[in-house]
Amino acid sequence: MSTEKVGTITLLSNDGMSVSVDRTVAERSMLIKNMLEDLGEGAITSDIPIPNVNESVLKKVIEWCEHHKNDPPTAPDDDSDSRKKTTDIEEWDQKFMQVDQEMLFEIILASNYLDIKPLLDVGCKTVANMIKGKSPEEIRKTFNITNDFTPEEEEQIRRENEWAEDR
Amino acid sequence: MALQTKALTAMPTVPNREDLEATWKYLEHGVAKIMINLQDGIDMQTYMGVYTAVHNFCTSQKAVSNSSAGVIGGAHRGAHLLGEDLYQNLIAYLNEYLRGLVEQSKTHADEALLSYYIKEWDRYTTAAKYINHLFRYLNRHWVKREMDEGKKNIYDVYTLHLVQWRQTLFTEVHEKVMDAVLKMVEKQRNGETIEHGQIKSIVDSFVSLGLDEADPTKSTLDVYRFNFEKPFLEATKLFYQAESKQFVAENSIVEYMKKAAVRLDEEEERVKMYLHPDIIVPLKKTCNTALIADHSAILRDEFQVLLDNDRYDDMERMYKLLQRIPDGLDPLRAKFEAHVRKAGLNAVAKVAVDADKLEPKIYIDALLEIHTQYSGLVKTAFQDEPEFTRSLDNACREFVNRNQVCKSGSNKSPELLAKYADSVLRKGTNGAEESDLENTLNQIMTVFKYIEDKDVFQKFYSRMLARRLIHTSSSSDDAETSMISKLKEQCGYEYTNKLQRMFQDMQISKDLNTGFKDFEAGLLEPGDEKQVDASYSILGTGFWPLNPPNTDFTPPAEISKAYERFQTFYSQKHNGRKLTWLWQFCKGEVKANYCKNTKTPYTFQVSTYQMAILLLFNDSDKNSYDDIVKATQLQPDVLDPAIGIFLKAKVLNMSPEGDKPGPGKMFSLNYDFKNKKIRINLNIAVKSEQKQEVEDTHKTIEEDRKLLMQSAIVRIMKARKKMKHTQLVSECINQIRSRFVPKIPDIKKCIDILLEKEYLERLEDDELGYLA
Repeated sequence: MSTEKVGTITLLSNDGMSVSVDRTVAERSMLIKNMLEDLGEGAITSDIPIPNVNESVLKKVIEWCEHHKNDPPTAPDDDSDSRKKTTDIEEWDQKFMQVDQEMLFEIILASNYLDIKPLLDVGCKTVANMIKGKSPEEIRKTFNITNDFTPEEEEQIRRENEWAEDR
Repeated sequence: MALQTKALTAMPTVPNREDLEATWKYLEHGVAKIMINLQDGIDMQTYMGVYTAVHNFCTSQKAVSNSSAGVIGGAHRGAHLLGEDLYQNLIAYLNEYLRGLVEQSKTHADEALLSYYIKEWDRYTTAAKYINHLFRYLNRHWVKREMDEGKKNIYDVYTLHLVQWRQTLFTEVHEKVMDAVLKMVEKQRNGETIEHGQIKSIVDSFVSLGLDEADPTKSTLDVYRFNFEKPFLEATKLFYQAESKQFVAENSIVEYMKKAAVRLDEEEERVKMYLHPDIIVPLKKTCNTALIADHSAILRDEFQVLLDNDRYDDMERMYKLLQRIPDGLDPLRAKFEAHVRKAGLNAVAKVAVDADKLEPKIYIDALLEIHTQYSGLVKTAFQDEPEFTRSLDNACREFVNRNQVCKSGSNKSPELLAKYADSVLRKGTNGAEESDLENTLNQIMTVFKYIEDKDVFQKFYSRMLARRLIHTSSSSDDAETSMISKLKEQCGYEYTNKLQRMFQDMQISKDLNTGFKDFEAGLLEPGDEKQVDASYSILGTGFWPLNPPNTDFTPPAEISKAYERFQTFYSQKHNGRKLTWLWQFCKGEVKANYCKNTKTPYTFQVSTYQMAILLLFNDSDKNSYDDIVKATQLQPDVLDPAIGIFLKAKVLNMSPEGDKPGPGKMFSLNYDFKNKKIRINLNIAVKSEQKQEVEDTHKTIEEDRKLLMQSAIVRIMKARKKMKHTQLVSECINQIRSRFVPKIPDIKKCIDILLEKEYLERLEDDELGYLA
């Protein structure tokens, strides 16, 4: 398989726009990497359809991949505790994630779909940081969630989780 | 990044994410395409479509599960993870597909079945890799969660393929496949060419199916071992049992050995060619048992025949075969040892017709010949294997120490060896080259290694070395030193200490003589008559195996002045040392100016005793026996043989004539003495003297042994304080064994002596105690 070959491939967003990208950049996505390997050069006769991602998100994702194309590949299933627990995000990624909420969630969904684990992690950490230190009301406000608990239900949940409160 | 507006690719049409039936139908189509028609390639649309359909289904919030309703969305999950339906559907699909393969396989047999199995296996596993990628979203989420929660029998999609293959297809067909494999192997063993790549593929497939039930990420060889290795070994065993039985019945053992060796090599080659390396040990064992161990008895019987006929190549073959089986070589070693011992004894018997007159060289050569022959055999046929070397050593030790020549006692061998060494190292006996000499010394050491009574050798060797040194008859100092260092290497410093001191004494004496010459020159008054030209050797009493003369002797006046001067010189140099003159070892030369028959005077080489006798004839032509006794003070047992030599050489005449000199005889100088040579050696050792010396040596050996045993006993008891009698005896044997093998009654005698001398005491219960 010609993974060594550096070339340009074209991705097609679900709203019909073509986006050219370096093959090595695109291969940050395990989906695209596996497909290119499985199908081989010959099968790439036209643009590669990405049915679940629109142009603006796709471009955003590619921007991230471009920046991170030289990162060392993370070992598969590298679920080491340190990486899981920390919510630290490097500076470039923090800036990158300064987008409106809708875009943020789109990026998370797209990285999940495209199988780009590090980007998925960054996205989830960003959301986690948005939640950190907030009261339920504040969180509801942040994410625009309507409270569908009855007061009794809410009281019960509070009592059940009392042990977790900061004191 | 660049935006382009070129011809658009069609987006795959993906089924409704919430409709399981539609989704699966769509997926099944894609999976079947991969499974059945992969060679046609699959297009991007299908690839992305299937992946997206799996993703969409798994992420749909409202999908209704057919099975286990109520679990989904359970509070402990925290999130909806859908996918079980896809997983179950995939299993169902694979089962049906595989059942179809099983049905088809029934139409094939033997090699066709193998081809079929391999073809389908390759197709299936390749497809599995693709499907695994397409179902990656399922692997990452649903499967991972199930496994994290500890659910059994949930695998990632690729492994699931293998599991299904094993459950559905493998269980049905593996026996038939194996039959086909074994048939092929048998064909090959019978000399046909087969396509062994097929077997290799089967092995690989069986190995791949070994999944560790406890930990699916690891693989085991269990499936392979049970379904391939076991039947393979069983078939191998049966094949070789049958073949070897028939072959042995129809051919000679030698032919069989060749055949077996070829077969064993073939099997090893077979493993390299197409079997799993894991089989090598059990396969070897199986072959070794069927081909060698089952026939070891007749092989071993043949060994004696091969030995008797010096069939080195065949013995090597047998060695190589039998070394493969446990304890295979022990009986060979025993036979070999017995054979060498017998050969050694026969060789000795051949030369030992008259043990008393046996030439040392002939005897030692006979021993060496056997050793050389069989150590060569050990080297070429038995690859210098240490245990065979030990058997050879045992055998040699036996026949060197206990043979026909040694009937009277085991000290005959060391005596003859020492004599042989003397003959090699003595001047003039053979004009051997330096390198030859070194070789001969090494050969002597070879025999020496086997000598048990090393103390006997030491005694004889030191006596003969003493004589070589005194008479300066060593052929080469280098060879002497080399020999001593060899002995030292074998037996340690203590063994050669005295020998080395003897050498030192000779060196010191040389310097001393130079000093004495200067001293003597200083004394000389002008006009003094010419001094006797003499050299002196000072030999340390404890180191040299020499005894003071056993006869009185008055040295002739001609030399007494000289030796008195030396005595003065020596006591000046080393005050308080006592010099004992060993006249019996002294010698000199006298010129016979009286002979009529020659212009140049004869020179007689004589012992000092003989010199004293001859010099009497300077004063008068005739001397009576009594005159001689009176003048020299010599005892008859020394005097008579000395005169005897003169009579025999016709230097002196005796009257009245008779057979022996004795009181009443008159001796006169023979003026008509005649000889072809100018220098005549009259200093000849007498046979009886030599024999006497040998006996003396043996006697001193016995004495020394007693002392050695006693000192060993005292040493042991001093360390242990208390000891059982039997223990003491065995400990004593251990300590002394490097010198000689003590006999138990002798040790007991020594213990008794020590008890008497109150070094030891008897305690209760057969114990002995040490008395300080």
